[in-house]
Amino acid sequence: MQPEELTQSPEEETTSFDKLEESIQANKVLYDRLHQSLIDEVVATVEDEDEVQHYKDQQKTVAWDYLKKLKHFYQANDLFRYAVWSLGLMLISTAILTIVEYDLFKGDVISDIGNTFQFGEGDPNWVDTFFHTFWWSVVTFTTVGYGDVSPVTHLGKLLTIIIMLLNFGIVTLLGGAVASVLVAARLKGDDKLDENKFHGHIIIAGWNPAVQSTLRLIEADRDANPVVILINETEAEIVKRAVSGFERLDVTHLSENFTQEAVLKDAFIEECGTFMIMPDYSGLLPNEQPDEDKTVLTSLTAKSISDSIQVVAYILDEEYISHLKRANVNEIVFPDEHIPHMLAKHVTDPGVPQLFDELITQEGQDKGIQVVTIPKGLTGLTHNKISAYYKFKHQWLLVGYAIRKAGFSLEDQMGESGSPLIRNMITEQLDSAGIALSSDEHVIVEINPSDDYVIDDKHKALVLR
Amino acid sequence: MSVNAEQIQKINHFSKLPEDMCGKIADVVELKKCNPKTRLLKEGDTGDTMVLVFQGQVEVSKNMMVKAASGFTMSRKSIIRLETTDPPPATDPITEPTVAVVQAPAFGIGEFSLVLDDAIRTAHVHAMTHVEYGILKLDDFSKIVEENPSIGGPVYFEVAKAAVNNLATASQDISNLTQAFFFALTR
Repeated sequence: MQPEELTQSPEEETTSFDKLEESIQANKVLYDRLHQSLIDEVVATVEDEDEVQHYKDQQKTVAWDYLKKLKHFYQANDLFRYAVWSLGLMLISTAILTIVEYDLFKGDVISDIGNTFQFGEGDPNWVDTFFHTFWWSVVTFTTVGYGDVSPVTHLGKLLTIIIMLLNFGIVTLLGGAVASVLVAARLKGDDKLDENKFHGHIIIAGWNPAVQSTLRLIEADRDANPVVILINETEAEIVKRAVSGFERLDVTHLSENFTQEAVLKDAFIEECGTFMIMPDYSGLLPNEQPDEDKTVLTSLTAKSISDSIQVVAYILDEEYISHLKRANVNEIVFPDEHIPHMLAKHVTDPGVPQLFDELITQEGQDKGIQVVTIPKGLTGLTHNKISAYYKFKHQWLLVGYAIRKAGFSLEDQMGESGSPLIRNMITEQLDSAGIALSSDEHVIVEINPSDDYVIDDKHKALVLR
Repeated sequence: MSVNAEQIQKINHFSKLPEDMCGKIADVVELKKCNPKTRLLKEGDTGDTMVLVFQGQVEVSKNMMVKAASGFTMSRKSIIRLETTDPPPATDPITEPTVAVVQAPAFGIGEFSLVLDDAIRTAHVHAMTHVEYGILKLDDFSKIVEENPSIGGPVYFEVAKAAVNNLATASQDISNLTQAFFFALTR
């Protein structure tokens, strides 16, 4: 506000300022009533519990996963199976040898070990003897053959012959198993990603100058998932250079054609948090325009894999917007829409475009407009209370709300009208045909609502920090 | 065993009639009893009788073409169950209800037969318990109305009300189905 505009008499000014002061005080009282500490505690405990549970679940699944992998490996790999069985046979033979030639090996233990540690104190017991026999087996197996122990009786020699022949097989097979695993890994290629890592990650399809800046903003927000997969056919070196500066982000580059379903599945698209499609400049000359059909095609492919994938498409040509809407893309980013507005505002409302610039350039430092989760204890309260909470607790200005809304829901639309029989039939039959009864959720914003506007758990706060 | 005027008056369609008129109707109603699972009305049949249920529970159902795992099949879908409260059913229903159970002291079904001699039954009606019911023929009822025109007003009003309600529900069903149809097409 310009100082010249305050043309009230000094007296009037004081009274109105008094009123302002009063209302700020009232707001503070309001805020105190929100029991900030209590709310924070509740929120913190809920989060802690969630985390502990999550950690436990994860531990359990990791161990289970390894067991499953081992079982799978055992079933799939002939060599490994053979090796396991041979090892088992070797242990059995050793056990038999221990039993049959017990006295011989026991005598050997006494003469070989002397006064060093043994399990049976003074007199070697069966553990010492078995270990000693096993030692001899391994020495023989590995063709080291120290010769410190050797069979004497005919039976002992016979069993030794069996063990030595088995050894021949095992050593060959174990070597083969190791080699085959290595070869298999090499043949599969190194591109196979570890699926445990990818959950709620970000996939960016297409290479574009905007990718790097987008990643920079994601890097700056500590709450954002740091796992990113880039899919484009730009040279790996160029991509590597572009993403080398990020510390927090874990970027993987898949050099493949992102319109293909198999490629998207390799990037675990069903698990991803956001799938972003950009105009792809891979392999284009500087004056060539990207082919935006690819964006539409990729959206359709992604949505056909799973309707619940959150797809954000960046488009340069207005013509494609209708196609993308038909492909059920969640959000469409079309920058040209904003340009006339920005230009015109320089004439009509100087300062507004500068404000936008300022907001955008500040984003890197945890400033600017951000979406924050509203503490659970505050849901159900009115806008003025939430606003007071952010103002006095964090010194943030609450601008409005981002609300996740289910799109069109057939069930809501039908409500209780008509006969229940027909309604049930419709839902049942559509459901069995795999047609979702509601369109995708999307985000709408409610800016500066009235004071008595009530927020629910679908609301997130848009704050200016 | 015969029906008395009081029983007739419990039925919504006849509740506005004076007792002597109900008595006249009661005289022409033929009282019957049936076991559970008996079909009282068959969808698609034409009929000139109205069924008055005095005691028991019945299930109203319709044949529908539905898509099952094996392809399209005709299946009988329950719509609603009706149960008397005065007196309540003498036995428990043979199956647990999967649809809403509407209770009334006593009720009439197939009321359109009171105005049309070839009214088509729009749904099946099966007995779920032992049912005590009466049959009112169109001819008999028409004769009573001819002799006592004052009966006609309240009874035909109830029938018309049911028809209008059915029509409203049907038009809402059409609108629901149209919406579902477009919804399925855009998916």
